Amino acid sequence: MSGSGISRRDFMQIVGLGGASAALAGCGNTSIESGAELVESYVQPENFVVPGVGVYYASTCTQCPSACGIMGRVREGRILKLEGNPNSAISGGKICGLGQAAVQRHYSPDRLTVPMIRKSGELKQSSWEEAMTLLTNAVAPADKAGRRVILTGPASGHEQVLLRALVEAGAATDHVVFDALSTAVAASVNRRMFGVDDPVTMIDRAGVVLSFGDDFLGAGESPVAAARQYARFRRGARRGVLVQVEPRMTLTGANADRWIVIVPGTEGVFALGLARELLQRKEAAGSVSPALAAVIEPYTQAEVSRITGVRGDHIPRIASLLWEHSPTLVLAGRYPQGHAHGSQNMAAIGMLNVILQNHGKTVMRAAELPFPQLAPTAGSFKALRDLNEAMAAGQCRSILMHGSNPVYSAPAFMGFADNLQKVPFKAAWVTELDETAMQCDLVLPLLSSLEDFGTHVASNQSDGTEISIQQPLMEKLYPQTRAFGDVVLDLLRKVKPDSYKSFPDYYAYLKSAVINAKPAYDPAAGDEEFWENALSAGVLHREASLQPLPGMQASPEMIHQPEPAGDDLQYPFRLIPAVTPNMRDGRPASLPWLQESPDPLTTVVWDSWAELHPSTARAMQIREGDVLILASAHGSVRAKAYLFPGIHPGAVGVPIGQGHESYGRFASNVGVNVLKILDPIFDRDTGELALYSTRVSIAKTGQNERITKDEGPTTLQQDRKLVATLAADQVDLTKETPFVIR
Amino acid sequence: MLKWSQFRAWRLSVLLVPLLAAPLAAAGEPFQQGGPIGSQTSDGYNALGPVVTQPIEFPHYIHVEKMGIDCLYCHTYARRSAVSGIPRLNKCMGCHQNIESVKDKPRIKKLFEYWEKQQAIPWKKVHDLPDFVRFNHERHIQRFIFDQERPTREACGYCHGDVGNMTTARRVKAISMGWCISCHEKDHKVDAVSLETSHGPGDCWQCHK
Repeated sequence: MSGSGISRRDFMQIVGLGGASAALAGCGNTSIESGAELVESYVQPENFVVPGVGVYYASTCTQCPSACGIMGRVREGRILKLEGNPNSAISGGKICGLGQAAVQRHYSPDRLTVPMIRKSGELKQSSWEEAMTLLTNAVAPADKAGRRVILTGPASGHEQVLLRALVEAGAATDHVVFDALSTAVAASVNRRMFGVDDPVTMIDRAGVVLSFGDDFLGAGESPVAAARQYARFRRGARRGVLVQVEPRMTLTGANADRWIVIVPGTEGVFALGLARELLQRKEAAGSVSPALAAVIEPYTQAEVSRITGVRGDHIPRIASLLWEHSPTLVLAGRYPQGHAHGSQNMAAIGMLNVILQNHGKTVMRAAELPFPQLAPTAGSFKALRDLNEAMAAGQCRSILMHGSNPVYSAPAFMGFADNLQKVPFKAAWVTELDETAMQCDLVLPLLSSLEDFGTHVASNQSDGTEISIQQPLMEKLYPQTRAFGDVVLDLLRKVKPDSYKSFPDYYAYLKSAVINAKPAYDPAAGDEEFWENALSAGVLHREASLQPLPGMQASPEMIHQPEPAGDDLQYPFRLIPAVTPNMRDGRPASLPWLQESPDPLTTVVWDSWAELHPSTARAMQIREGDVLILASAHGSVRAKAYLFPGIHPGAVGVPIGQGHESYGRFASNVGVNVLKILDPIFDRDTGELALYSTRVSIAKTGQNERITKDEGPTTLQQDRKLVATLAADQVDLTKETPFVIR
Repeated sequence: MLKWSQFRAWRLSVLLVPLLAAPLAAAGEPFQQGGPIGSQTSDGYNALGPVVTQPIEFPHYIHVEKMGIDCLYCHTYARRSAVSGIPRLNKCMGCHQNIESVKDKPRIKKLFEYWEKQQAIPWKKVHDLPDFVRFNHERHIQRFIFDQERPTREACGYCHGDVGNMTTARRVKAISMGWCISCHEKDHKVDAVSLETSHGPGDCWQCHK
């Protein structure tokens, strides 16, 4: 610049002024216009429709399986904003960020608007007639051998009923339910110990909650419902105390009164140490069998401290805190599940609730849903593994996919994308072309969740039972998009015309199904009245009391903890693929609001990052923004270092959800997909992927790039005492009583 | 290397190009600024709106001047909402289905055609404010018609002119920011009887998003 005689200051002036005038010219209409646009006018609207005034309609959020009731503000026929539905016992009139962003999925500029068929190697725009011919041929029961699979994400409600009907009618051989972030280990352990997959846990009834990595406030099973319970837990006459034990801080951990960092995978050992301490009390002594007590016995304070890295004196302190403030609640989230001994971890933690006599108080069995066929089916990773093996062996003839993105989620060691290519016919229903859709022979354009009808049921309902009703909040934006239910019904009419010919579309089917449920809810109402009431309330709610859980069934093997693995010289760090409230399993990555809202713990936006403990970073001479290569035995990712005090010094955390190769303009080429480099380690009892068992090495590239984040230059409260904290060893937990708010 | 004097001239041209280009860019859009050259709005501003051709040449003067129908009878949303909206089609039909004498008129035939097709009439906006401006009809109608008890036609006319004597509406007031403020700065009576007065809001955020 100095050579041309224009100073930097002049240059900035020119650019600044030129830019400002260009911006003014580019803003379009800057003064009053006449005759350029049309007025929104109506033929004969409902009486309550007033232009410029929003009307709220009830529906259900489908961004995650928690089935929160929502209200959509509609003005001049367009959905503007979503809120919680106060009628819903799950959302109670609240909504989370993920739910808010559903509007962006609906209005996304990358929506798939026409069916696509692969012709000479490329996906080409096509017609529904051609698409339906292909699809019908694929599901037609034939003599040819081979599985014809329907692969979906977690399912419930009438969509699930139709899919099961499709399998029963022989149009598909099986319905595989996949969830990249499955909690199938917990479900299996609960089933074996207490006879139910998903006991109801009531945070609000507990005096103290001890959570082993359960991010119930952030990316848990039902964050809105849990946050409402948590608010009551904190605000009650007795303010509850939350103790969080986890290897990497979650949003819930950040809210805890006491956050204890632990060596990844040793949560079970810590639980057994606590159990040993609790069993020394006279009243608790007989609560477990002598065989279990024998397994627990060796876990002395010193032994637990050696294995978990947690100071030994925490154990008696937490034990007395729990014992003295009954009823309490012990929760277990994803971290303890994600290991080869995940089942043992979960069983050891689950046993604590029995020793603390929380069953029947804060841990219950959910009330029976009047229509069990609508109850949710949780996804598992094992299901995808089995399918992957069948595909590799050439046993699959066709696969229809909806509500999941396995090509993105499956780790590289599975070779899922290659195996998918061995399936002769692959179809996917999507709103945006994701990685899985790009591999398919047929891609069908779905209605957005704000244009569709449906019913949804959440698991773990603590307030009666509820069926959430989803209804369109506006007319469909693209004429060629179709409801998933409509297409499935079309297929059913072809294979089983007698049973389904009376339903012209999914709406008619759903309406008749909901009206059939009338006797369980409001027998006195007329059919139409009941349907209208269900739509306007948004939920079918039934009061029902929770049931007690049966006694614990546990064998010593179920809680047996393996000796911790030694150091790995080649891959010294444990990888923690972090589940964040914004990105979850990666499907929200195409929503810019979630990309731009800062991660609650690091404030990073629009990127992936590698969380390193400051002490580890110091030892390795790594600064914030240093570009690192994290390599496992099965691949590597590049990410910028972020110094994060909320992580175990021997671990490195990378958020899940970014690194999409094809998922619209907002998700593509942002960050890295950490799931790809996971090691093939599985929970021994269930075969689920062990998400937190991968080990990695860290190499510096020598480059440094700025991390885009909201927080100031230093991570620790900007060198000001914004929130008072104390090191854990400076506090006497026995004095940390739930205190009375006056 | 450029001399300072040369650079200044060059810099001026760099600055002027985008400024000159802005009106040129706007000229390509369907909206033509103002009416015929030299035309003035009824309040003396030099920005009479263009004639807007509507799908039906709706005669306001017959409805208002001859029949004496109140503005708010058809533009019923104006007192309930930020936007006045356009009367719903079944409102037009509510009367016209029963007025045999004009059923054969070309304009009414068109109306019936839309009704039979159950299609909304694609009326064009005549007073379309930029997206960064918030204007609330309800507030203004509350103040002038309900609080001050001014006649509807007069109150609506403050901004829309004497639409009752037009066929289809045309913008005859400037409706620019300075014009809005000139009225907001006046003393307006708070109701029909009191001597107390107040101004319209002068805060940027009241009108600008």
